[in-house]
Amino acid sequence: MTNPLARRDFFRSAADGLYGTALAYLFGREFYGGSGLLAADAPAPPRLYDLSPKQPHFQPRAKAIIQLFMQGGPSQVDLFDPKPTLERHHGQSVFKDLAADVSSPEAAGGLMRSPWKFARHGQSGTWVSELLPHTARHVDRIAVVRSMYNTHPNHEPALYKIQSGKLLPGLPSFGSWVAYGLGTENQNLPAYVVLDDPQSRLPVNEIQNWQSGYLPPVYQGTRMRPTGSPILNLTPEKSRQRPEPVVAASRRLLARLDRIHKTQRPGQLRLDARISSYELAARMQMTASDALDIGQETQGTQKNYGIGDKVTDNYARRCLMARRLVERGVRLVQIYTRGQMWDNHSNIGSSLVGACQHTDQPVAALLDDLAERGLLDDVLVVWGGEFGRLPIAQIRPGSDPKKAGRDHGPAGFSIWMAGAGIRGGTVYGTTDEIGYRAVEKRVSVADWHATMLHALGMHHQDLYFDRHGFRERLTGTDKVRVVEELFT
Amino acid sequence: MRTLSNLIPIVALAAGLLAPACHTRPLTAAPPTAMVYETDIRPLLVARCGRCHAGGKTKGSLDLGSLGGIRRGSESGAVVIPGKPEKSLLVEVLAEGSMPPDGKNRPTKAEVNRITAWVRDGARTRGGDFNAKAALTQEDVLPILFTRCVVCHGGREKKGGLDLRTRRAMLKGGKSGPAIVPGKPDASLLVKKIHDRDMPPPKLLVDFGIRPVEAGEFETIRGWIAAGAPEVKVVVDVAGSTPDRLVSQQDRDFWAFRTPKKPPVPRVAKPDLAARISNPIDAFLLKALEAKSLGYSPKADRLTLVRRVAYDLTGLPPTWTQVEMFLSDKQPGAYARMVDRFLASRHYGERWGRYWLDLAGYADSEGKRSADPIRPHSWRYRDYVIRAFNNDKPYDRFLLEQIAGDELADVASAETITPELMDNLVATGFLRQAPDGTGSDIVNTVVERFEVVIDEIDVLGSSVLGLTVKCAQCHNHKYDPIPQRDYYRLVAVFQGAYDVYDWLKPSFVPGQTKSKAVGRVLPYLTAVEQQRHAASRAVVEKQIADTKQELADLKTSLEKQHAEKRLAGLPEVLREDLRRMLATPAKKRDAVQKYLAGKFEKRLSITVAALKKQNPRFKKLTKTTNDRVKQLQAEMPVEPRIRALWDRGDPSPTWLFRRGQYNKPGHRVGPGVPSVLTDGKTPLAIKPPWPGAHSTGRRLAMARWLVDPDHPLTARVMVNRIWFHHFGRGLVETLSNFGNTGSRPSHPQLLDWLARTLIERGWSIKRMHRLMMNSAAYRQVSAIRPQAETIDPENRLLWRMPLKRMDAEVVRDSILAVAGRLHDTPFGPPDPVDVRPDGLVTSREASDGWRRSVYIRHRRKHMPTILETFDLPQMIPNCVERPDSTVASQALHLFNDGMIRKLSDAFAERVTREAGREPYKQVERAYQLALNRMPSDTEREVGLAALEELTRLWQQKAADTPAKSGKQKSPSTPSERALATYCHTLLNSAGFLFID
Repeated sequence: MTNPLARRDFFRSAADGLYGTALAYLFGREFYGGSGLLAADAPAPPRLYDLSPKQPHFQPRAKAIIQLFMQGGPSQVDLFDPKPTLERHHGQSVFKDLAADVSSPEAAGGLMRSPWKFARHGQSGTWVSELLPHTARHVDRIAVVRSMYNTHPNHEPALYKIQSGKLLPGLPSFGSWVAYGLGTENQNLPAYVVLDDPQSRLPVNEIQNWQSGYLPPVYQGTRMRPTGSPILNLTPEKSRQRPEPVVAASRRLLARLDRIHKTQRPGQLRLDARISSYELAARMQMTASDALDIGQETQGTQKNYGIGDKVTDNYARRCLMARRLVERGVRLVQIYTRGQMWDNHSNIGSSLVGACQHTDQPVAALLDDLAERGLLDDVLVVWGGEFGRLPIAQIRPGSDPKKAGRDHGPAGFSIWMAGAGIRGGTVYGTTDEIGYRAVEKRVSVADWHATMLHALGMHHQDLYFDRHGFRERLTGTDKVRVVEELFT
Repeated sequence: MRTLSNLIPIVALAAGLLAPACHTRPLTAAPPTAMVYETDIRPLLVARCGRCHAGGKTKGSLDLGSLGGIRRGSESGAVVIPGKPEKSLLVEVLAEGSMPPDGKNRPTKAEVNRITAWVRDGARTRGGDFNAKAALTQEDVLPILFTRCVVCHGGREKKGGLDLRTRRAMLKGGKSGPAIVPGKPDASLLVKKIHDRDMPPPKLLVDFGIRPVEAGEFETIRGWIAAGAPEVKVVVDVAGSTPDRLVSQQDRDFWAFRTPKKPPVPRVAKPDLAARISNPIDAFLLKALEAKSLGYSPKADRLTLVRRVAYDLTGLPPTWTQVEMFLSDKQPGAYARMVDRFLASRHYGERWGRYWLDLAGYADSEGKRSADPIRPHSWRYRDYVIRAFNNDKPYDRFLLEQIAGDELADVASAETITPELMDNLVATGFLRQAPDGTGSDIVNTVVERFEVVIDEIDVLGSSVLGLTVKCAQCHNHKYDPIPQRDYYRLVAVFQGAYDVYDWLKPSFVPGQTKSKAVGRVLPYLTAVEQQRHAASRAVVEKQIADTKQELADLKTSLEKQHAEKRLAGLPEVLREDLRRMLATPAKKRDAVQKYLAGKFEKRLSITVAALKKQNPRFKKLTKTTNDRVKQLQAEMPVEPRIRALWDRGDPSPTWLFRRGQYNKPGHRVGPGVPSVLTDGKTPLAIKPPWPGAHSTGRRLAMARWLVDPDHPLTARVMVNRIWFHHFGRGLVETLSNFGNTGSRPSHPQLLDWLARTLIERGWSIKRMHRLMMNSAAYRQVSAIRPQAETIDPENRLLWRMPLKRMDAEVVRDSILAVAGRLHDTPFGPPDPVDVRPDGLVTSREASDGWRRSVYIRHRRKHMPTILETFDLPQMIPNCVERPDSTVASQALHLFNDGMIRKLSDAFAERVTREAGREPYKQVERAYQLALNRMPSDTEREVGLAALEELTRLWQQKAADTPAKSGKQKSPSTPSERALATYCHTLLNSAGFLFID
């Protein structure tokens, strides 16, 4: 258990002398029209939605989560789940049995062995592929779950599911639920920050990955960008910027006009809230830019992450920003990878190598950095994609076998977690002998969501949103199990 | 979804490498008992659980009083798993004490042990095995075949001559012989093909949206054939065919499920209150206020009223002319006339149509997939809705057209398509708005198709019916008396059009759809529409031709030059003939010319590639021309179609999906409506809409039921919505849930009076506006009276008007209007949006401004940022009530966004244009335009001082940074910039954004 003083210290910069009851009231205070008195027998929905810090349901393990989201589907049998069977039966056809999960049947080849060697690492002896030498250093901090499964073989539905619990778009994302359930410690920053690759297209499903669905929009993920305005419209475009004295005069004028307006309308709370929202907007400009300024870090730290190295730079920067953000009280930081780099349909021999090299060192450095600063006790780090890949080759008949890749494999795949009381060195669950399907200690997406909520001190059943008299939950109505075995 | 549990044994067989699947379980130590259900367990269960789960009571669909019932389990699935007490729900709930729910009549520990032991020992019955299922019938097999096979072997397609929809057709078989041999599963082709995984063909699964037959399904098919393929007579479950046990008279007596009766208008005793009565609405409201010793707030002044009415009815600020017209009308009835003027405005439909579009879940894209394919024809429905509101189409007719327009008249065989006929079809777009991903082959399975049906039922339920029917999709409604079968009766109503086994795709998605045919659109457009389309095509075609002409001219002249150069090297005597030959098209040349061409043409002509090399201008022009042509071709209006919903005449059967899952079919149900809203005995009166119609008439029957004047909900739900938009709070606060979990009406009598009045006045919505807006309640001020607030802080009794923030669209449209940049052309294809790399989404500017927000393309994934920031909702599948927030991102947008600043510049230019350069007049004009009133003395002073200060600061700036030569930016002088900054600040002020 961490000592409470350290925890307070951890969020020291969050307070910043700025937040108190007044400020908590300001940011994102939501006024829901039409709510209020309901019939005596109906539960009254809360009238206000905001981002003020809220008590979890029980003592949390984690105060924040950094999610290293590997969209595209990293290949479990090439990274964390070695399968000697594939070696022995390389080339054998099992297509008819997998047909329902194969989106390009004409390119379905036989079983394909992993081109890479696996070795045991650390005291725990966890198997890791030679593709991830840096991550391998940390196996004694990490719990690998080999028995995750998703329920759709295509990116879009599978992403919707892993982000928001169902195969459909439009539902609140996991991060929105976290922001809704816990609020944030720092009112000058968003509760839920998304760091997508600034040099790449948005991930599949784009902003729907972090939307708030039927939860109020204040809970949706906020994209922060390393260059230009860190948050959309936080600062005006260059061409439309005004001299500072003009901005100041304009703000004074606005305050004056709004005061006149408000004085004539005593007691109208939302007018106060609105005036406050302008004040907050001004403060956010400073805080957000500061949080993303990795120039404040030492050369050594930057180098450890791989900043300056062409292969890792772009991902490394965001890993370091993630640390700075959780330090400042952001509840959830989600880092997305470049395009679909884990979606190795072809040339897996080179494409998977590239994806690993791009991320391995920064991820390991993040774990080092968090640990050194004592943050790893309070921050849960999660690594994984929306599904894994099939153990069979994907290749057009007659093509060079070297060009083979692997198609999407939702029935069984690996993810890992570290920090915040995660039992290091764990390998949880198994897939079948060919690595196709999770068979033992299967972990559904809902189980996984519930487990992360558990780390944050929330019970998935108790985290709900009243919508027209119905309690909507992230984990829906299915039977859900918190994988408590992953924690110490 | 396929479980693939059968994969392991098959791989094992092939490879001989896997250990045998481990199914053996260590037996428990206790010796087996000889207990059987009938004598040892049933009496106990009836005694303890019979209150809800026996003797005709089947709460949660569970009947513990019969062997069939306990075998079937509950809506949560199996309750007894023989041999596995730890996995049996029955044991679990009894052991943990969660059943019986209230702790009354709980079984003793010994009894629980007895039940546990019975389950552990295999849950025996007198007949032996617990799972000795009832004999399989065709009803177990047909849902599987409809799901997996009928797309190729059924009504529309009979590949190999095979139809698998009936036992008889299976016996008849196809080209390869009978599909089944009763009693001989292994001799049956059906079994063989599925077993060998030849069918459904693995490589065609994706194209046809099919998944392989699951292991359990295969066993069912096999078992049925083995048993001789028995066929039973099926009674389709419609109202009256079986007892209606799940809905009681008490349920029907719930206030919202009884037909509203028109109550007498109450008398208000207190004279000062009675004096405020303008129409019956006030009598109802004041009566309730009187009981709490409250009364109305004072009457609002004319400026407040005209702004309130303008925004309420049109979503735009009143023009200063409109304001002055009202102010100067000193005759009695001036207010009512002002209301009528705004009601007659063309912008009224844009405002109130938008509310309806929220309910329909209107979108210009399909959603569901990240490609989010565009719906090119959706806008016709948007225009239909706007016109319907503008023309005050009676609400009953409006509903009939939207729910069953295709069954109102026979459009297909009409000689000419009249606008009315076309409207009937366009209107059904109401039920085509839900997200629909099935245009992509990979997600076009029964699961995804059913999602569309679920969403459309949700849209209908939440918008028109005011009930949350969707809960009954998976189980009997937990709070409202809506059994699951009522839900599937609604599914059956839709099945004539939305048939999950016989599906039409909504769109073609590049790279995700093999067949480019888009199924679910109709071609029945009026001649006028066709001509309009041809004309708009012609415009683009002309542009393309013109663009190409310049290049063609250049090419010709360059070719000529080249030829002349070459001719110069040829004998003089030939030149003229050769020129003539070149000028004559190849086909028209005579024999001599042909000869000459054969000999010289190659020498005299030049290839395009060579021309490009030779002439940089030609190269450049070729590229720009091609780019422009491509761009123009992309803008070419698509072939006009109607995005409609229509009945196709021969629906597949509808099976109830247990737990909402397509692969857990229950019994067959027929079309119907929620029983609690009917007598429970009379089925819907369904007949084909006209003699010989190839249409079931199911939706028409439902629509007619909905608009029956005695319908308990239709009118109530609609008047409540109108009320909500005027008064900021519904009489029933849960606008889309009038059921048990919804809120009770604050003024039940007023609600019913309004509902009956709507019907009496011909379902006219505009008349309802007049009624509500002419009440004294609506004309109160919005100021808070502390005393009243202590008594009724929520203002449920309406002792004042609420202060309202502008809606998303209203914010944008009003800023455009104030800036004089609102482009006023209504209707037609939506305006595209641009997406910036940093995520900012803006609508594209037309030549003379931007159109109203309702005409922007509503692509789900790319909605303009300003609208989303001000709470434009996600349509999932629709939006019944928008959230209303005050957050920092709104401040950031209004204060920093480039477009708002640009519009502020335009606003300032307009002020100067209309008021001149005198600051005093500028301030006045700015107030008239943005706040629709004159500034107060203080505001005038503040404004003048600000202009002076800002001018000075901008001057400073100009002095500090010498002006760059070249582009003259507007505004350019310090005083112009000061005015623009001032105007920008006004648009940011609370006085602009909030409506009193």
